Amino acid sequence: MFTILLKKELFVEFRNKEVVLSMLAFGVAVLLIFSFSLSGDPKINHEMAPGLFWTLVILSSSLGLHRLFGQEKDFDAFASLIAAPIDRGTLYLAKWVSGIMFLTVTEFLIIMPFFLFLGLSLPITILPGIGIVLLGNLGIVAVGVIVSGLAMRAKMSAVLLPVLLFPLITPLLIACVKATIGWYHVLPFSQWQFWLLIMATYVVIFSLAGYIFFDHITEE
Amino acid sequence: MSIQFQDRTANNLLVLTIILMSANLYTIFFVAPMVPEQTWAQKIFYIHVPIAWTGFLSYFIVMVAGILFLLKKDPFWDRLGLAAAEIGTLFIVLVLITGPIWATPIWGRPWVWEPRLTTTLILFLIYVGYFMLRKFGGHPERVARYAAVLGIMAFIDVPLIFYSVKFWAPQFQLHPQVEMGQQPDGIFYPFLFSMITFTILNILMLRIRVRILNFHHQIITNNV
Repeated sequence: MFTILLKKELFVEFRNKEVVLSMLAFGVAVLLIFSFSLSGDPKINHEMAPGLFWTLVILSSSLGLHRLFGQEKDFDAFASLIAAPIDRGTLYLAKWVSGIMFLTVTEFLIIMPFFLFLGLSLPITILPGIGIVLLGNLGIVAVGVIVSGLAMRAKMSAVLLPVLLFPLITPLLIACVKATIGWYHVLPFSQWQFWLLIMATYVVIFSLAGYIFFDHITEE
Repeated sequence: MSIQFQDRTANNLLVLTIILMSANLYTIFFVAPMVPEQTWAQKIFYIHVPIAWTGFLSYFIVMVAGILFLLKKDPFWDRLGLAAAEIGTLFIVLVLITGPIWATPIWGRPWVWEPRLTTTLILFLIYVGYFMLRKFGGHPERVARYAAVLGIMAFIDVPLIFYSVKFWAPQFQLHPQVEMGQQPDGIFYPFLFSMITFTILNILMLRIRVRILNFHHQIITNNV
């Protein structure tokens, strides 16, 4: 059932590209703001790059997460979806995995303009950075799907989502930025491994919370 | 069904709280000794720490009420959660006001990104979202479920927020690391007395607020 639901999410997104395009367009717009509001000095940008990157990701993801239930809400299809004999936890997992995929694709598309516009040098090793970004995505979307589900049927869902999401993901944001600083500024692994532990703990706790609580969130 | 407005337990608790609070203020200002390097600024700790305790206790009650509501579907637990969230937020706002009042003369600036203060601020922001969700979430029965989930998530986020802020900026670890058990009796007993007094105040406020919410529920369901 999980595969069918995941296929459904990917198929809908492949057809209208709503989530990825909204995140990408918003991300590029924010990147433009960053480029003009910072000093333009590549040295300063290099220092601030990890924080700027995660700010960009979180701002963009809030927009994409809002659209994660957009189709179901717009066409009133959510009632039909939850009327089907599907375990709600599996529904959460499908939303989570598809959300991670959409966010990762957006990051993949935005990373080159990010380095280009801010005049940043490329890091020496790529793989640890990919690992940090993926772990960060797991955490952001784990909470994001829950919050998106909570805000979906609210009157001010577009406002409510970031208001709920940003404070909840503060520990994850701190850990993501710190781990990225460690990797990007080539610090010894022992200095930033603690942050990977915080990220992993966050992912485990909130993905389990999502799996358990999604039943209560989606109940009619 | 008629509404029983009289609540003797609440009235007795109110009298007890007034007596205890008066005695508490007298103890803080006239009995507890001055700490030489902090003088009057230290006095705020007899208020600041107990209200922080009652604030976090209230948020703990929100979590427990949330779990019980999701398990039993009894609206009482939702009303208890809402009452505890309101009272907890009131106390947390007071913590965020009294903290900088103490910090200004002692640290030389009203705000530093210290873990306890930062955790309190983030929790307050989560609860701003909680009340927005309560207000704009839609159908009351659905909102009750959403609020229960958010109350649980907010509380399980606390240790993660605390430890991430603690290690985020070690230079801001300025919060007094005091073991109250090792304090002289002149400080320890007034502090303990203040903690008990504010806990009783919290229980009283919770009881009154839950009763008001019960009345409200009875009125809107036309059971009066």
